[in-house]
Amino acid sequence: MRQYVIKRLLFAAITFFVIVTVVFFLLRLAPGGPFDGERRMPPEIEANLKAAYDLDAPLVVQYGKFLMRLVQGDLGPSFKQKDFSVNDLIAAGLPVSATLGAAALVMALVIGMSIGIAAGLRPGSAFDGMLMTVSNINLAVPTIVAAPLMVLIFSVSLAWFPAGGADTAWHFVLPSIALAIPLSADIARIMRGGMAEVSLEPHVKTAHSKGLPLPRIIYRHMLPIASTPLISYLGPAVAVLLTGTVVAEQVFDLPGIGRYYVQAALNRDYTLVMGVTIVYAFAILTLNLLVDIAYGIIDPRIRVASRA
Amino acid sequence: MHLRRLHWLRLKVILACIAGVLFTAPVSAQVLHIGNTGEPQTLDPHRYNLRLEETLLNDLFLGLTTFDARGQLVPGAAASWQVSNDGLVWTFTLREGLQWSDGTPLTAEDFVYSFRRLQDPNTAASLAYFMYMLNNAPAINRGALPLEALGVRAPTPTTLELTLSQPYPYLLERLLYPTAFPVPRHIIAEHGDDWVKPQHWVSNGAYVLTDWQPQGYVNMASNPHFYAEVGISQVRYYPVVNEQSAYNRYRSGELHAIGAFPIGELDNARENYADALQVSDLLSMMYLVFNTERAPFDDVRVRQALSLVIDQAILTDKVLRSGAKPAYSFAPALLAGYDAVELPHQSQTSAQRLAAAGELLQAAGFNRSNPLKLVLKHVNGVENKKINLAITGMWRQLGVQASLQQAELRNHFAELRQANFDVAWAGWVGENNPEHYLTLLQSDIGNVNYGRFNSPAFDEILRDAQTMASLTERNQRLRQAEALVVNDYAVIPLYTSAVRRLVSPQLSGWYPNLRDVHQVRYLRFEP
Repeated sequence: MRQYVIKRLLFAAITFFVIVTVVFFLLRLAPGGPFDGERRMPPEIEANLKAAYDLDAPLVVQYGKFLMRLVQGDLGPSFKQKDFSVNDLIAAGLPVSATLGAAALVMALVIGMSIGIAAGLRPGSAFDGMLMTVSNINLAVPTIVAAPLMVLIFSVSLAWFPAGGADTAWHFVLPSIALAIPLSADIARIMRGGMAEVSLEPHVKTAHSKGLPLPRIIYRHMLPIASTPLISYLGPAVAVLLTGTVVAEQVFDLPGIGRYYVQAALNRDYTLVMGVTIVYAFAILTLNLLVDIAYGIIDPRIRVASRA
Repeated sequence: MHLRRLHWLRLKVILACIAGVLFTAPVSAQVLHIGNTGEPQTLDPHRYNLRLEETLLNDLFLGLTTFDARGQLVPGAAASWQVSNDGLVWTFTLREGLQWSDGTPLTAEDFVYSFRRLQDPNTAASLAYFMYMLNNAPAINRGALPLEALGVRAPTPTTLELTLSQPYPYLLERLLYPTAFPVPRHIIAEHGDDWVKPQHWVSNGAYVLTDWQPQGYVNMASNPHFYAEVGISQVRYYPVVNEQSAYNRYRSGELHAIGAFPIGELDNARENYADALQVSDLLSMMYLVFNTERAPFDDVRVRQALSLVIDQAILTDKVLRSGAKPAYSFAPALLAGYDAVELPHQSQTSAQRLAAAGELLQAAGFNRSNPLKLVLKHVNGVENKKINLAITGMWRQLGVQASLQQAELRNHFAELRQANFDVAWAGWVGENNPEHYLTLLQSDIGNVNYGRFNSPAFDEILRDAQTMASLTERNQRLRQAEALVVNDYAVIPLYTSAVRRLVSPQLSGWYPNLRDVHQVRYLRFEP
């Protein structure tokens, strides 16, 4: 098991390094620099700005400096949000995005698992068909469609929720639902498949014949097995959530790092784009690593395979 | 019994408190909520670069001159001024008893420090050239001269003297920009670059910065040491980039005023928010620029032909329908004290123009079998695409085959600065000063002369105008320069933009104006 974990860790570290390097150089290949605006810029002023942000050094030197700082946990000054460092900005934005992501994940799990369990108990029944239709509709409504519609209905027309901002918990309700909807559909499908499969297992049939109450059978005998595939889905789910928060934060004006990402990329704010990339890459790689390890614990075949 | 009732009472009080916090906290009648068009990149007036930052900086600082509620220039930190006969020395007398927001007296020395800081190469101020008319400023910014060589001094604590290298009659206008705002040297000495943090903040405007949540909001409170009374004690600016989101947040009552909303909602707003809608002209110029270094656009006949068939009124009234006004001159017709020179073909009918354009293209060697082909570049977005599609449609009458190429704003202007285009859409939001527009076509201005227009005669007249201290004489000379540009068809003026705002009828004192400035200190909540 230890060997397996070390191997996964090593892979994660290499992937992280490759992502960071590729993004660093790709950014600088994009046309237009951080100080290009519509306004005039005399050459001496451009020189002053480049010197202030180390942009006058050769690319390799810039890359070296960037790596040195990264090792020390310093992401540098933001080129565009001049009054903040990238660390400041991420410290302000990450809690917003994390709250949104976590709320959406919980909501997606609750909705998705309920639908999946209910549908998976009687696969092929009319009830199953109805639930899965609802779920398919959810899948077909991406955040970018759901979010503006929800604002129109619940903020503008009904005035139940605010249309934007992040001042209170109230502000997070609509965006996390908008994010959770497409995700819940995937979860429902996986859950339904797991439940349908496990209901044919002998131990479940035995439990039924012994006259155990249904909730107890579901909870004790079916869920632990049926929800295993969900664990492997958590990795991709977090990736879906991260890209989703970028959209939701734009539509709902939430000050999270997803919004920084879009603005920073448009503004060629090199350091901020790098900073957010690092946070995203780190989040996805860590979760995938945890999933891999959890899988190793649950499924002995993986442990054996890695030892061989 | 007694005890139990007490418990019950206590519970009720706690419940009431919780309910109070939950339901009343977000709503407070005293705070003004404004949707700004984006996130400020800095609140350091010498490092700023964006119009949306000017909005905030105008509330936080007070320059020598400032705007009144209707966008007109009025005395600010300076009570009065006079200029020498040769137009080179400007003497400002500061208002009595000026203070920073921490109560420290504000003197002319603070202005001297601030003007020097702007030109300091270490400040790396991207708009330092706004004050290049000050004696020795460009050399100081290059690092060739010490800061002390700058043409600014303080003979007394309330007198400030600015010495220019050339007469500049628009100086008072130019002082309206944040680049000329004073910054607190005593705070900068103590905290360095961190002086802009809310916990260290000191400024001299009607408001002070109290909180800044990046991408969330910027909070300001009234400055107790400001010389005038204000009606609103707290204001919160939100960065609302998406116009639809701004519109929604106004409609749901979260924002009192918004800077822009989608053009498509204009009719809806006219119907449902007539008392809040403000559509007004913005002092600006949207135009097409030819790459005069690239054939065949180096040929004035081709440029003229393409200009002749453009109908600006159709673009504004039929295509854009945003309240924008058609433009027939390169310096906006909205400029005060300047009579802009219109395109020479304005008096002709559209049939005459089409015929003339056909002949010009023929003479330049283009015809049905050898049509003129070009790429028109523009900034992405639905509205821009519509306008530019309409333009290619107008050119098609001449058999011109134009294709569109759109790019995100930053890429677009990067390409323009590198002169990598045939014909391109460009825009300029300027000050009340024709020179601000005309110098864009000066051959030695640098890469904002996107089309690399090069007319020695035009340069000569412009240089001559720049030696003139009298505003009327100078503007007269500038007209001659503009006439040359217009006859050379260096650009095709299209329209001046319009600003679409929604401002709650609860607010008074918000007047539409050409510069679209609305300082909070002039606003009041209606009782």
